[in-house]
Amino acid sequence: MPSGEQQHVALLSMRDVRKVYPSGTVALSGVDLRVGAGEVVGLVGANGAGKSTLIKVLSGAIAASDGAIEWEGQPQSWSSPADAQAAGVATVYQHIPLAHTLSVLENVFLGRTGWRRTTAALERELDQLLERIGYRIDAHAPVEELSIGQRQMVAILQGIAQGAKLLVLDEPTASLARGEREVVFEAVRRLSASGTAVLYVSHFLDEILDLTDRVTVLRDGRVVADEVTAELSEDALVHTIVGRELLRVEQREIDLPPADAPLLLEVEDLRSGDRLQGVSLQLRAGEIVGVAGLLGSGRSELLHAIFGADPNASGTVRIDGRTLPRSPRAAVAAGVALVPEDRGRQGLFADFEIWRNASIADLPSLSRGRALPDVELERERARDAIGALKIKAPGPDALVGELSGGNAQKVVFAKWLYSGARVFLLDEPTAGIDIGAKADIVELVRDLARRGAAVLVADSEFSELLAVSHRVMVLRRGQVVAERVSGETSDHELVSLASGLEKEMQRAA
Amino acid sequence: MQREKQRRGVLDVLKVRDLGIVYALILLVVVLSVVSAATGRPNYLGGDNVANILDQASLVGILVVFMTIVLVSGNFDLSVGSIGALSAAISLSVIDERGVVVAIVLAIAAAAVAGLINGLIVQVVGINAFIVTLGTMTALRGVVLILTDGRTITAESSSSRTALQSIESGFWTVNFPVILGLLALIGAGAALAAGHRGRRLALLGGGGAVLAIAGFVGDMGFRYAKPVWYMAAITLVAWAVLRFTVVGRRLYATGANAEAARLSGINVARYKIVPFVLTGAAAGVVGVLYGAKLGATNPTALNGLELTVIAAAILGGTSLFGGSGSVITSVIGALFLFTIANGFNVLNLGANYQDLIEGVVLIVAAGVYTVANRRRAQAPPPDEEAPPRPAASSEPQRVGVLRG
Repeated sequence: MPSGEQQHVALLSMRDVRKVYPSGTVALSGVDLRVGAGEVVGLVGANGAGKSTLIKVLSGAIAASDGAIEWEGQPQSWSSPADAQAAGVATVYQHIPLAHTLSVLENVFLGRTGWRRTTAALERELDQLLERIGYRIDAHAPVEELSIGQRQMVAILQGIAQGAKLLVLDEPTASLARGEREVVFEAVRRLSASGTAVLYVSHFLDEILDLTDRVTVLRDGRVVADEVTAELSEDALVHTIVGRELLRVEQREIDLPPADAPLLLEVEDLRSGDRLQGVSLQLRAGEIVGVAGLLGSGRSELLHAIFGADPNASGTVRIDGRTLPRSPRAAVAAGVALVPEDRGRQGLFADFEIWRNASIADLPSLSRGRALPDVELERERARDAIGALKIKAPGPDALVGELSGGNAQKVVFAKWLYSGARVFLLDEPTAGIDIGAKADIVELVRDLARRGAAVLVADSEFSELLAVSHRVMVLRRGQVVAERVSGETSDHELVSLASGLEKEMQRAA
Repeated sequence: MQREKQRRGVLDVLKVRDLGIVYALILLVVVLSVVSAATGRPNYLGGDNVANILDQASLVGILVVFMTIVLVSGNFDLSVGSIGALSAAISLSVIDERGVVVAIVLAIAAAAVAGLINGLIVQVVGINAFIVTLGTMTALRGVVLILTDGRTITAESSSSRTALQSIESGFWTVNFPVILGLLALIGAGAALAAGHRGRRLALLGGGGAVLAIAGFVGDMGFRYAKPVWYMAAITLVAWAVLRFTVVGRRLYATGANAEAARLSGINVARYKIVPFVLTGAAAGVVGVLYGAKLGATNPTALNGLELTVIAAAILGGTSLFGGSGSVITSVIGALFLFTIANGFNVLNLGANYQDLIEGVVLIVAAGVYTVANRRRAQAPPPDEEAPPRPAASSEPQRVGVLRG
């Protein structure tokens, strides 16, 4: 691992960079970031810490509100991704935008301007690039036939083909299998050795500790640590990411369900490809169980598989002791509700009014003869929901597409609340929701449990998970790796477990 | 509708998004009537001419009802013309030997099966509906060619001809105002019995009574060709099912967001496939009526029908992306197209200009709907990095431009 030379050459230096969104959200409140030539810098932080915004500013996708960016010692004001790319910043985002029908070769040199391009010359160039990162791939395979890991590598190649001096990798391994991750690591090491700097953004702290020379930690839009990796202990890193104030999560009073409460949800050996590798769990009535997992841990896959929405899943799901056939329809009929992570795509009908959204899962019981929906009843229910869930909307006729994230999410809840559902599967229920609405939703979840529902919540914000659930299962790479009672753990421990640090700790112990 | 007051423009107040085609039709009829009167021609709105337009529009009208259902479900069907031709060919080639009932049943069954094939390929194999039905459109036209060997098929026996005429030709006189008035009275009575009260109810009942009496006293019977009444009945039933039933609501939901519908427990496959089957069957009915009208059919029968039907649906404001649309306005769209054609005829304008006008009208209509929709739709809320809003604000939140 190269290290130690970061002091003299500052390839990129950002000083006091701020970003305030037009809505008034402060995403970055004065961030300093330095990357030296050939240096591998890890950028870590909890969700909402400002990592994505920082990457976007640095790659020219959005403009900073304030602050200075220096590139190779010169002040810069990149106004478009093209400017940043021309200067030598290549960014590989999580969702890789490649031209799927074109070949690897064509994708790698997509940004190449000029008229004449001979395939032979490009092939030679690609060979050199591959040599440089120690990777092999068929240059003429269409990208759509590649695995996610291979696409990731094509994106990296695309970046360095443009002569990148700084490669920004945003969660490059989140959806990769183990072997593919090794390939990425290898590429990062080789690039760094040949002088290309890498800004490595990842939730996986073991990777960060392994790969990087230096780590910058963001929290709430600020840099809270900037340390040489070798001098950093895992413990300190987790502490810095989580922050002390978060450890003092307001100690909640959760009414524990009676020990003899009936088993409501039983899951046995649920599998789906390599995303879910044999998950079993049990929930009693009145119990709230958290699923702690990072991006790519299989938490959404778990909930979808329980709901019967994953046709490739295998395993048994029982509700009230009765085996559930594998279909969302059967799940809904059995009283299972899913609040999906991507509410716009999976949870809501944006062009429908609140009342048509709120009633859709329970239409027959709002209908005369279970066949003719009674619009007045539906409106009534929507009005109830607006009142009970504090949905900020002009009325039941408001289109859901016009609501803000938090209010739209409440409509998704409303869809299930009145339908007699007893098992709730909540996937990131508070993602992208403002603080006020968050508190409302947490209260709502507790209330569900009080009324005897079983709730399974997946959330990547562990402090929130701890605040709401009785116990927490930690999911990593499709497997339950630990289970903790909420009062006897901390988000510190959960972060360690979920990010794969616990093995290091055991080794150290 | 008690839609809360929002900012309203002209397009909103007139509900152009929902009713644009109605205004267009009224305007067109007014213009044609005025021009017709000014040039000393017979009354444009005279009973015969209206009956003519309705008769000409009836087959397309029947199909556009089902095309709308397919479009609402989020799909697309180009094969209706070919299915109709197939049905006509089957019914006419069988009728002499097997009789009219077998002929009709066989023809419509074959058409429904063709629709089922469309639906299964689209939903189960997962090929885009446009491509699938483009394929079946071509292939079924080929089947018709094989079946007819490229020749015109005619019903020969006189009993066949009589039977065919009995379903297609001739008129029914229906005292529409009386029926409508009685229906309104019954509806008002039912609502009253169910405990509803109010001005609207009184209006409904009163209006119904007046209409029924006027219709009866004034002998306001409407005498239209049978297919017109078929169209009216089918439209009414389809409208009621889409508007008032769980099935209808789920159909719209499936078209609006199939994934959300699936995760809400709706059998999405059913709501995607059945519309194709119904459309196939309807094309079968239309094929039988077409064959019956002429007593003969040829291999190119009903060629290009699908485009007229789709144009009518678009004129009626039905979305090509699923989840919205109304069979009533779609049928009015069909009437609009046939009124234009009829106007060119009656006023003796150059028929050369007709296609040009129809094409322009289609694009203008689509443009108006798009603008009306855009005004209605807002930027979707952010899904990541949602900016926290001031929690104290009691104002309805509206999302503006967001960078993310």
